[in-house]
Amino acid sequence: MQVVQTFGHVVSQWSGPHPDRARGLLKLGWEAQNLKNKTMPDKRLLPADQYLATIMMDAMLKPLQKPESSAIVSVFTPSEILQEAGLNPYNVEGFSCYLSGSQAERTFLQQAENTGISETLCSYHKTFLGAADKKVLPRPKCIVYTNLTCDANLLTFRRLAEMYKVPYFSIDIPMQQNEDNIAYVADQLRKLADFLKQVTGREIDTEALKLRLRRSRRTLEKFQDCQRARADKYVPSDLVTPLYSGMVNNILLGSEQVERYVDQLYEEIQKAPKARGKHIYWMHTIPFWSEAVRHALSFREEAQIVGCELSQTCEPDFDPEKPFEAMAYRMVYHSLNGSALRRIEAGIRHAKEAGADGVVWFNHWGCKHTLGAAQLAKKKFEEQGLPLLVLDGDGCDRSHGGEGQTSTRLEAFLEMLGEGGSKQ
Amino acid sequence: MNKTYYVCKYTPIELLAALGAQCENLNEMPQGFDLADQIAHPNLCGFGKSLLEAVMSGKVKELVLVNCCDTIRSVYDVLEESGKLDFLYLVDMLHSEGECSRERTVIQLKGLARAYSAYKGTAFDEAAFRASFHKPERVCGPHISVLGARMGRELYEMVQDAMPYPVENETCVHNRSVGEMLPPEDADFDGLMEWYAGELLGQIPCMRMMDNTGRKRLFHDPGLKGIIYHTVKFCDFYSFEYAQVKQNLAVPLLKIESDYTLQSSGQLLTRLEAFAESLDASRCEGKEKKMGKGYFAGIDSGSTSTDVVILDREGKMMTGIILPTGAGAAIGAERALEQALEAAHLQREDIDAIVTTGYGRTAITEGDKSITEITCHARGAHFLDPTVRTVIDIGGQDSKVIRLDEEGSVVNFVMNDKCAAGTGRFLEMMARTMEMSLDEMSKAGLHYQEDITISSMCTVFAESEVVSLIAQNKPTDDIVHGLNKAVASKTAALAKRVGGEERYMMTGGVSKNQGLVKTLEEKLGTKLVVSDRAQLCGALGAALFAKDMVEA
Repeated sequence: MQVVQTFGHVVSQWSGPHPDRARGLLKLGWEAQNLKNKTMPDKRLLPADQYLATIMMDAMLKPLQKPESSAIVSVFTPSEILQEAGLNPYNVEGFSCYLSGSQAERTFLQQAENTGISETLCSYHKTFLGAADKKVLPRPKCIVYTNLTCDANLLTFRRLAEMYKVPYFSIDIPMQQNEDNIAYVADQLRKLADFLKQVTGREIDTEALKLRLRRSRRTLEKFQDCQRARADKYVPSDLVTPLYSGMVNNILLGSEQVERYVDQLYEEIQKAPKARGKHIYWMHTIPFWSEAVRHALSFREEAQIVGCELSQTCEPDFDPEKPFEAMAYRMVYHSLNGSALRRIEAGIRHAKEAGADGVVWFNHWGCKHTLGAAQLAKKKFEEQGLPLLVLDGDGCDRSHGGEGQTSTRLEAFLEMLGEGGSKQ
Repeated sequence: MNKTYYVCKYTPIELLAALGAQCENLNEMPQGFDLADQIAHPNLCGFGKSLLEAVMSGKVKELVLVNCCDTIRSVYDVLEESGKLDFLYLVDMLHSEGECSRERTVIQLKGLARAYSAYKGTAFDEAAFRASFHKPERVCGPHISVLGARMGRELYEMVQDAMPYPVENETCVHNRSVGEMLPPEDADFDGLMEWYAGELLGQIPCMRMMDNTGRKRLFHDPGLKGIIYHTVKFCDFYSFEYAQVKQNLAVPLLKIESDYTLQSSGQLLTRLEAFAESLDASRCEGKEKKMGKGYFAGIDSGSTSTDVVILDREGKMMTGIILPTGAGAAIGAERALEQALEAAHLQREDIDAIVTTGYGRTAITEGDKSITEITCHARGAHFLDPTVRTVIDIGGQDSKVIRLDEEGSVVNFVMNDKCAAGTGRFLEMMARTMEMSLDEMSKAGLHYQEDITISSMCTVFAESEVVSLIAQNKPTDDIVHGLNKAVASKTAALAKRVGGEERYMMTGGVSKNQGLVKTLEEKLGTKLVVSDRAQLCGALGAALFAKDMVEA
C-alpha cells in the first residue's frame, strides 16, 4: 500500500511542473502492475477473473502508449464501431478509477475545482478533467460521447474537446423507447461512421461490423448464463472484478478477449463449489478504495458481490444483421435510459438471476440519476423481496468517504440479512 | 381553475394555452425541504427539491416538465410514483436542434396535446394559440445580467434591490424568447406545430444542449455593466460555463451559489452589496459630514470578534481594539467602541463619522454608514501595504479572497460556500477536539514529522478522522499540520479561482496562526504579508471610509 501511496504522490507532484514525466511514470507504473497481473495474478480469483484484470489493464495502457489511435469515450458509447475504426477506447470513467487506484486523484480533483467546476460534479469526470488540464493525459485522436444516462457527459466531453482541440462527435439519445427513436439514433450512428472515416481515413466495413455485433450478442448471452449459473455457486470476488466486467461489457464489447473471458468464466463457474454466505448485487459503481467495503465484501465466504448493474445494461436481443439499428437499439433500450423504473426493474431481474440475498444501491456522490431514484428503488426492490441498502459514498474521491459510517451501515445490513456478524 | 406549472423554457406553454391551460413558471424558494427530504435524497439540487416540496405541500396539481437534466428526470419519477398530481407530463426534448430534431419535437408536441386534451376535455383552439404569443420585454441601456442556473424569485428581488443598475434575468427558463415571431398566417395544425417546434428549439440554448455556442451573445450585450453568475448547489451545468467565461470577460463578474432556500440570503447579501460597491464607488462615499474634532471610527462586527479602529485627521491610528462579539452584534459594537474611546482618551462627540462593516454591520445603530467587509478589507490592506494585490481573509465563519487594483479598489472576490470547512471555525473546532488552545495550535503545526493528509472535507467527518489519528497516537504536530493543509488547500483553491496575484496579504484572526501561514505559503508558492495590524484590517478600512465621508 505504501508503494502505491508514494507512487500516487510522485505522479501528483510531477503533474504540475513536469506533466510528461508524470505521464511517463504513470505508464511505467501501470505497465509494472500489468506485468504483475500476468506473472503473479491474485490466485484467490478464478483464472477467468485473473485474465479479466489483464484485459482491463491492457485497455487502460493503450491510450497512454498510443494516444494517436485512441478515442476518448464515455462508458456507454457503442464500442464495436470504434473497434472497426481501429481506435482504442480511452475511457473517462475507467481512467479516473485507475488514477484513484494509484492514489493520484486528489491533485486532479483539486485542479478541476480550481478552475471553477463545481465540487458536486461526479468525481470520475472531475478527476479526468483535472488530469487532462494538468496535461498528464495525452491528446487523443478524437472524442465520441453520448448523453445516455448521465448529464455530466454533455459538459465534460465538450470541455475536453476544447482543451485538446480535437474533432468530436456526440450521440443524442431520446428518453422514450420506440421504433422512431431507434431510427433517429441509427441515423446518427451512420453519421458517426462518416465522422470516423474522416478522422481515421478508414471506412467502416459493414460486414465486419456485423461480425462484431454477433460476437457482442454471444458475449452478453453467455454473460447472462454466467450470472444465472452463479446463483448456486460460490465464486470468490474482490471489489474490482465486478467493476471490470461492467467496463469490458461496455467499452470492449465485441472484442475477442471479452468473449474469451465470458466463455472461460462460464466453464469455471460451473465447476465452482456450492454457494456460501450471502449474495450481494450491486447497483452503480463500487468504491473499491474503501477499506470498510473491502472488509465487508472482499474475498469473504460470508458475503460476496455477485454482480454489478453496469455489466448488464442491455439485453442480448438485438439483431446483428442490422448493425446500426442494433447499436441504436442497445442505447435506446439501455436499462439506464428513460424512467428510473426501467433501471430498477432491470436491477431486480438481474439480482434475482444471480441469486442475490440483498442489494446495495450505491449513491455515488454527484450522480443525480442514482441519488434521485434511491428511495424509489428501496421501495420497489423490497416489494420484490430483495432487501436494499442505500449507501452514500464516492466511487473515486476518498475525501467523500466517512469510512466509519460506511462500515456501520454495510455491516448492519449484512447482519440484518442473517450473515451472523463479521467476526472471523 | 388549477394553474399548469412549468419549469423550463422549452415547455410549449403556448400550445398548453391553446388547450385551455393557464401556465405559470414555478419559481419560489421554500423555507426548507422537509417534505422533499422524505421522498428523495437530500443531495438533489435545491430546485429539484423545491419542486417536490411544492407538489407535496399540495400547491401544485398540474405540472409539465421537460427532461432538462438528471435531477428533473428523477423528480418526475418520484412524483409519478407519489400520485399527488392531477396531471403530470414529461416532454422528451432532444439535445440537438437539427432538422431531425425538429421532426422529433413535433411528435412530442402532438403527444402532449393529446394527453392534455384528454385530461382536460378540450380541443386545440387556434385563435387562443395565436393570441398567446407575446414579445418578451427586454431591458435596454446600462444593466446587470443575472446568468447561469435558474434564480428563485426571492433571491432575484434581493439582487434587484442591491444593484445600482436595472437587472435582467437571463437564467435558465427566464430567457425564454418564444414570441419574438408570430405564427404563420396560412398554416394548418401540422404546419403550426412544425413552425412552433423550430421556435422552441431556436431559442438561446441552455447548457444541456449539445451545441451551445449561441450562448455567447449573452455575454456581449453593449449595455452590460456587470454579470452576476448564479449556480445552484448540486447542479453542475453552469459551473462549466462559469469556468470557461470567467477569465475572458470585459465586464465585472460576481459568482454566487444558492441552495434554493431562503436561509442563505444573509451571506449572499454581503457579496451582492460588495459587488454593487465595486461597480459604483459613490456608494461608499455617503452623505457629507462636517469636520469637527477630526477623529474617525471604523467598527468591524465579525462573528467571532468585534474590532474598532480610531483614526485622526492625518490618518494616524489612535487605537485599535479587539473584543469577542458575544451574544449580540449591537451590544458588542457599543462595548468595543466605548473601550476604544477610553483608550484614545476621546468622547463619543469627538468622532466625526463612523462606518460599520462585517457580518453584524447593519445591526449596529451607532454608524453613519455601513460598507461590506470585502470593500473595507481591500481598503485597509491597501493602506497597510500599497503593493498588495490579493487579500486572503480567513474569518470565523467566512473565508474570502479579494483581488485589488493599485488604488485599493476591489477588482474581484470569492467567498467560501455555506460550509465551515476552510474557515476559522473549522480550526477552532479541531483545537477543541484536540484539547488545545488556539495559541498552542498556531505553533504546533510548524515542526511535523509525518506528512498526514486529512482527506475529509466535511468538518464533521474531519473531526472523526482527527479522533482516530489521536487514537493511533499520532503526534499532535503531525495532526495539526494535516489540518493546516486541509484549510490551506481550500483557501489556495479560492485564490486560484479569483486569479490571485502577488503580493498576497493575509488578514483576519487566523493570520496569527503561524503553522497555517507557512502551509498556505507553500501551497501558493509565495510569501504572505502579515501585518501586525492584520486582525484590524477591516475596521481600519471602515475608518478610512469614515474619514472620506468628511473630507469628500
